[in-house]
Amino acid sequence: MSNTVTAGASVHRSPGDWALKVAPWVVLFVILAIVPFQFPSFRVEQFCFWMTLAIAACGLNLLTGYNGQISVGHGALFGIGAYTTGILITEFGVPLFGATVASAVVCFAAGILIGLPALRIKGLYLALVTLAVATLFPLLLEQFSAITGGSGGLQITSPQLYRGEMRERPIRLESPVAGLENDQWKYFVFLGITVVIFILSRNLIKSRVGRSLVAVRDNEVAAESSGIPVSQVKIVTFGLSAAIAGIGGSLFALDQGQLYPSSFTIVLSIYILVAVVVGGAASIIGPAIGAVFYGLFSDVIVQQMPDRIQPARAVILGVLLILLMLLAPGGIVGGFRTLQAKWSARRSSTHSSGLAVTGPSVTGPPAAGPEVTA
Amino acid sequence: MSSAGDGVSSAGDGVSSAGHLLEVKTLGAGYGIVEVLFGVDLVVDQGEVVVVLGANGAGKTTTLRAISGMIAATGQVTFLGESVLGRRPDQLVKRGMAHVPQGRGTVTSLTVEENLRIGAFVRSDEQIESDIEQWFEAFPRLGERRDQLAGSMSGGEQQMLAIARALMSRPKLLLLDEPSLGLAPLVTHEVFDRLREISTSTGTAVLLVEQNANLALDFAARAYVLEAGRIVLSGNAADLQGDAAIQKAYLGV
Amino acid sequence: MKDFLQILLVGIGDGAVYAMLGLGLVVIYRSTGLLNFAQGEMAMFSTFIVWTMWSLGLPMWLAILGGMAGGFCVGALVHQVAVRPVGDPHEKPLAVVIVTIGLFLGVNGAAQLIWGTLDRSMPPLFGRGQVTVFGVAVAWQKIGAVIVLGVMVLLFYLLFQHTKLGLAMRAVASNSESASLVGIPVPRLLMLGWGLAAAVGTVAGVFIAPNLGLGTNLMQLTLIFGFAAITLGGFDSLVGAVVGGFVVGALSSVMPRYITIFEKMPLAPAFILILAVLLFRPEGLFGKKQVTRV
Repeated sequence: MSNTVTAGASVHRSPGDWALKVAPWVVLFVILAIVPFQFPSFRVEQFCFWMTLAIAACGLNLLTGYNGQISVGHGALFGIGAYTTGILITEFGVPLFGATVASAVVCFAAGILIGLPALRIKGLYLALVTLAVATLFPLLLEQFSAITGGSGGLQITSPQLYRGEMRERPIRLESPVAGLENDQWKYFVFLGITVVIFILSRNLIKSRVGRSLVAVRDNEVAAESSGIPVSQVKIVTFGLSAAIAGIGGSLFALDQGQLYPSSFTIVLSIYILVAVVVGGAASIIGPAIGAVFYGLFSDVIVQQMPDRIQPARAVILGVLLILLMLLAPGGIVGGFRTLQAKWSARRSSTHSSGLAVTGPSVTGPPAAGPEVTA
Repeated sequence: MSSAGDGVSSAGDGVSSAGHLLEVKTLGAGYGIVEVLFGVDLVVDQGEVVVVLGANGAGKTTTLRAISGMIAATGQVTFLGESVLGRRPDQLVKRGMAHVPQGRGTVTSLTVEENLRIGAFVRSDEQIESDIEQWFEAFPRLGERRDQLAGSMSGGEQQMLAIARALMSRPKLLLLDEPSLGLAPLVTHEVFDRLREISTSTGTAVLLVEQNANLALDFAARAYVLEAGRIVLSGNAADLQGDAAIQKAYLGV
Repeated sequence: MKDFLQILLVGIGDGAVYAMLGLGLVVIYRSTGLLNFAQGEMAMFSTFIVWTMWSLGLPMWLAILGGMAGGFCVGALVHQVAVRPVGDPHEKPLAVVIVTIGLFLGVNGAAQLIWGTLDRSMPPLFGRGQVTVFGVAVAWQKIGAVIVLGVMVLLFYLLFQHTKLGLAMRAVASNSESASLVGIPVPRLLMLGWGLAAAVGTVAGVFIAPNLGLGTNLMQLTLIFGFAAITLGGFDSLVGAVVGGFVVGALSSVMPRYITIFEKMPLAPAFILILAVLLFRPEGLFGKKQVTRV
């Protein structure tokens, strides 16, 4: 979708077009920079959680949106990242963000491990296996309570100087910058990591490797015959996707300071998937938009509702998901692109108006997307 | 097979004002954005055997699929005096139109007998059992294999079964899509012989789509020639058989 | 040995319930090619309907019939408004998975809205008594589950093999285009299949609820056991669901008892089973080989 549309636009590239392309990003970054100063601390904390969700969704999007492998179990990978971070810091005294890097590596390995069976198990059946993983994960945490703390939770502590002596104390992300509160500092650190991950993902997707991801998704046999090592692509994608989800989980651990199995149930996996689908599978920015949508919905809108009808949030999300699949399978980004394509088609309706709209979708999601433009 | 025709009404009742059993006007259809048919017109009368000839890709199968409601279409389809465009296939079976799709379309995981029984889904009369038995008499090879899965039979047998199954609904019109496809010439001849017997004895009208023009023109009373989604020629089968252009284009003479 | 037999029998009793849920999953898979991730939630919902009727004073058997009828309506409605419009599961797996997950959330949330988040208690259908056979105590409830499963299998057999409706449902499952061409109203039959599957799920819920307490997460683990059962048995085989159910029940009961690593996660053997079967024998014990579409 985007390729056909942007290709059409780049034929007559002018400085005006370039400005039009860059301006929204400048505005976005200005807003993102102002935000932590405009909201109370508890909101800023929530934004940090939204970002961890966005990162996990970005990872899932690589796998499901671009590579066509459905995972309903990324909550478990998120959890592995979180617990790896917690255990490394508490038990082995690893520095905070060093643990994040290590978590990414561990999750990469875990992703490869899950990716191996995924070579033979596809589509609905892969969804089933990953669903089972997601259901099993909290039970695993309780089974191995010796290292995870079980249902009692894991308090993440590190040796810190306290009243003149080194003691194990709960971790804190302290702002080294005068004038920045701790939560604001955390916000900018998380924002930086989130932006880097999204940019790296974008570059990956635009590269030759990214094109092979999409080729494998669209037609494995054709990809194989054009020399793409399908198995390797699928496994490595699983690993990368898991590593990114793990980074999200690691930041979650740093953010929360304590971890409980009940945070990593199937519901978390579903919310990550919700972020991908609502934002728009197979668009780079979609998962971020989806995560913000989910955050706004569950942390802001739902909080306005009376307590008794709060379960309605699940009903609303469920109905929304179904409606989305029926009406706008490309999510928010997909719907926006359709409107954009229609608009530009109308503008240049003098000749071959439908071209950009009806062309085969290049980056549309495997199952849900192409109908948007068809 | 006379009793299978008991349910067929005599010519005249329920037929459109022009007297046709099936009347198709400016039929257009396609798949996605690819248009295949560009305004096909044809008629089939009560008890008549009509063939649509055409090369591969001319739109023969699409024509049948559009008439029987398997794909969306534009234009007009009038069956027994009623406009039926936009109806689902199962609703048309109820009205008396049965379609044997290309590739035979038996339900391969049901037994031969179950296939015949399911063919009578729209009926609730007392004669279903006796109809089934009569088909087994008519096609002893089906009778021998009544408890065998349909998918385990040969191509010719499956084609017979598919036709028999369609006729179990006691249709007034049978749509047949390339019954000769993938069959040995000898088997094909047998299928057509049977078909002729059935059609004359039950008075069932047949709209047949075929590539094998020689065979089809022997069998049919009238013929249409379809080219690139349009009817380019029509007439009596005998006349077309004598037509030099047809001979050259379709009969391989 | 006696200990082992005791645990095995408990497992077989549980297995009967997994088989019930599995039957529903198979009916849906056969007719629509779909793994219904919301099956457990639909069963939970209709079990709450049973509980409501029972707590209003209706006799249990009547309440169960009522719950099955309610479940049937929910299933049929879900198919009409959400599943049918989205299209072919094997062509658009992501869209279909998302829709069933949407249903999962929606049905779960609806149950919380209506019945709250507290667990309700429901009496065992066959009482709390037990009988001793060869020195091994077996709860009547477990025996009852096996018997009820037997009756359900018999009814399914009669429906599919000896009625016109069942024949039509099999035709739809095998080849919906052919079925439509002999006059079978395919959408209506699919709707019926969904209703039937949900009604069967109700019975599974009624058997599980007394053990676990009737809450909105009643079926989330059970669903995975049900999927393990039909994965082992073959996604499209009713017999397979029953055999698979018993095997999964037995494994999930015996293994955590003797292998300490499974102690707190009886789900683990079921998961390993799902993975192993999908890897090495995707058609399961009784299923038909899948034709891979390119």
